[in-house]
Amino acid sequence: MISIKNLHKSYGKLEILKGIDAEIEKGEVVVVIGPSGSGKSTFLRCLNLLEQPTSGEIRFEGELVTDKKHNINLTREKMGMVFQQFNLFPHKTVLQNITLAPIQVKKLDRAKADEIALDLLRTVGLEDKKNAYPAQLSGGQKQRIAIARALAMQPHVMLFDEPTSALDPEMVGEVLDVMKKLAEKGMTMVIVTHEMGFAREVGDRILFMDQGTIIEQGTPEVVLGNPTHPRTQDFLSKVL
Amino acid sequence: MRKLQMLIIVLLCFVMTYSGLNRLAYAEDSTNSAKKTIVLGTSADFPPYEFHKVIDGKDQIVGFDIQIAKQIAADMGAELKIEDMSFDSLLPALTSGRVDFLISGMNPTPERKKSIDFSDVYYRANQAIMVRKADKDKYNTMDTLKGAKIGVQKSSLQEEIGQKIEGAQLTSLDKISDILMQLQTNRVDAAIIEGPVAQANLTDDFAITSAVPQVEDYGYAIGVKKNNPELLNSINATLAHLIKDGKVQEFVDEASSMVNGQQKTQDTFSFFLKYKDYYIAGIKYTLLLSILGVIFGFIIGLFISLLRMNRIAILRWIGVAYIEVLRGTPMLVQLLIIHYGLALTFHINFTALESGIITLSINSSAYLAEIFRAGIQGVDKGQMEAARSLGMSSSQAFRHIILPQAIKNVLPAIGNEFITIIKESSIVSFIGVADLMFQAQVVRGISFAGLNPLLVAAVIYFIMTFVLSKLLGVLERKLRTSDIH
Repeated sequence: MISIKNLHKSYGKLEILKGIDAEIEKGEVVVVIGPSGSGKSTFLRCLNLLEQPTSGEIRFEGELVTDKKHNINLTREKMGMVFQQFNLFPHKTVLQNITLAPIQVKKLDRAKADEIALDLLRTVGLEDKKNAYPAQLSGGQKQRIAIARALAMQPHVMLFDEPTSALDPEMVGEVLDVMKKLAEKGMTMVIVTHEMGFAREVGDRILFMDQGTIIEQGTPEVVLGNPTHPRTQDFLSKVL
Repeated sequence: MRKLQMLIIVLLCFVMTYSGLNRLAYAEDSTNSAKKTIVLGTSADFPPYEFHKVIDGKDQIVGFDIQIAKQIAADMGAELKIEDMSFDSLLPALTSGRVDFLISGMNPTPERKKSIDFSDVYYRANQAIMVRKADKDKYNTMDTLKGAKIGVQKSSLQEEIGQKIEGAQLTSLDKISDILMQLQTNRVDAAIIEGPVAQANLTDDFAITSAVPQVEDYGYAIGVKKNNPELLNSINATLAHLIKDGKVQEFVDEASSMVNGQQKTQDTFSFFLKYKDYYIAGIKYTLLLSILGVIFGFIIGLFISLLRMNRIAILRWIGVAYIEVLRGTPMLVQLLIIHYGLALTFHINFTALESGIITLSINSSAYLAEIFRAGIQGVDKGQMEAARSLGMSSSQAFRHIILPQAIKNVLPAIGNEFITIIKESSIVSFIGVADLMFQAQVVRGISFAGLNPLLVAAVIYFIMTFVLSKLLGVLERKLRTSDIH
């Protein structure tokens, strides 16, 4: 579904990504782990071109999204993204947060957009908050709304950029539960996280990144249980 | 947001009807009379030569200069149109072709003759020394004025007289009423004023001394643009027969009798009631100017802030240059360049109202552009990323996500700028837009009251800005509902 070839990203002289090759299959849950500064967030943000790659190719459903002539907005409609800092729109209600893009981008009428939004709010268990403003919600609630907002565009893949890192510990569970349900329904997901338990339970495949490259990858059992690379072993010994 | 759109639509309708009415009025003018119009430039604050007076409930410009102008127009078979402006603006108005001729108690001095032509002299007046009543005997000869502080009208014959008095410290001002205020408040000791004018302004506080300034009098003449012998000859012919028939002195006496009896001191409120028509007319223009200045300033400012933050360097530089130039030069200079400069160099003749609106709009747009920039840059980067990640284009994201938050964040600063526009719109009185400040000056000219007309104007300005700041406070509170925890 997504195929990445020799992806490089530099800021001036600082090289963040040093040639990434990866394939994401349909229905797969890929968890990206690694020490901070390893480039995992940058990698994820390159997938929908929030970061412009310095070189390399990214194909999504066969289309070359790194092509200058490609309309990235069309690709982004199909790639939902969830941010560490939620990034809800503070001047809009929960319902408006979710329906804005379907109405503006997909040109759905309001009734249809509302219907989809209420459905999603039920899924994330926040139907009663539809008229609240983001400032009135807890961190966990905000992130569940952010997930619902991304899902409202009916994306083919969901990208999660450390979705629980900004949350108080007692709220991590409710967000991971929503993500787990999503994975069970067969959503293709790429998740950057430090939640190793979640990675083991939900991930189909783990990518371990360090210093801008993928060091090791495989099933959770292999990468987390029996890593072969010393840097993976070193990292896991610190976080587990 | 919808309400805001409604408001803007209503305002635009208001503006269109306003301008539509104007056009209608012009159209009527041209159908009523196929005859040409001739435009007189005058500074109607100089009784008995030219001044405002309410006749049958309508404000009119009268005076003996105006009588002469009417005769000139009649002899030419033309319709007379009067443009009232500050005395300093008269020469540029004539040279830039905004008016056809000037009658405004103007002396044909050699300096003025360099830039315009003058008709034959139509009147010579004596000069008088006006002092506070208590000083009547102190300054009874010209010699006693040596070293005194003397008030005169700017670039006038009286100023020249004053300059010849040994050791005299001159205070040169635009308006007679200002000079009299200076005299009344002990800032000057005496004022050199023309005889008929001094007579007209004589109140219980003042006296005319027996000192008589001797001066080589230029007399009064009519100004026309250089190289226009046809108009000049026609004017001279009219003057010749007016003088021959003794009509000029008749006009002077008539005008002087119109001036008398206008003077009475009053409390500020009854003063306002008496002259309320002037103020209401002025409020209309001040509101129109401010509203249009705000709307256009807002739109242009937004556009400039986008230039200022553009990725393309040349557009960014244009934005920076626009902002720096408009913020770094006085608004009065901008106004005069737009009104007279464009007319002189490019023959772009805006009406005074148009020039005023343009100046206010572009001046405030420079300040608003910087306010918008601060607001836009203050919105968290994640907002744009979230919007774009949902497939919104950058313009959709800007409109729905960035701009509303930016405006909300800088609303107090925007409100400040709006209030500034209301107050600074008073500058347009300089080119003759009959706004609140202009009307206050007119009332000063008619009533001979120095302070009251300005107090009334100040109160009205305050009410307007206070109401606006309260309205903005309500809007701010409404927008803040999304912040309540």
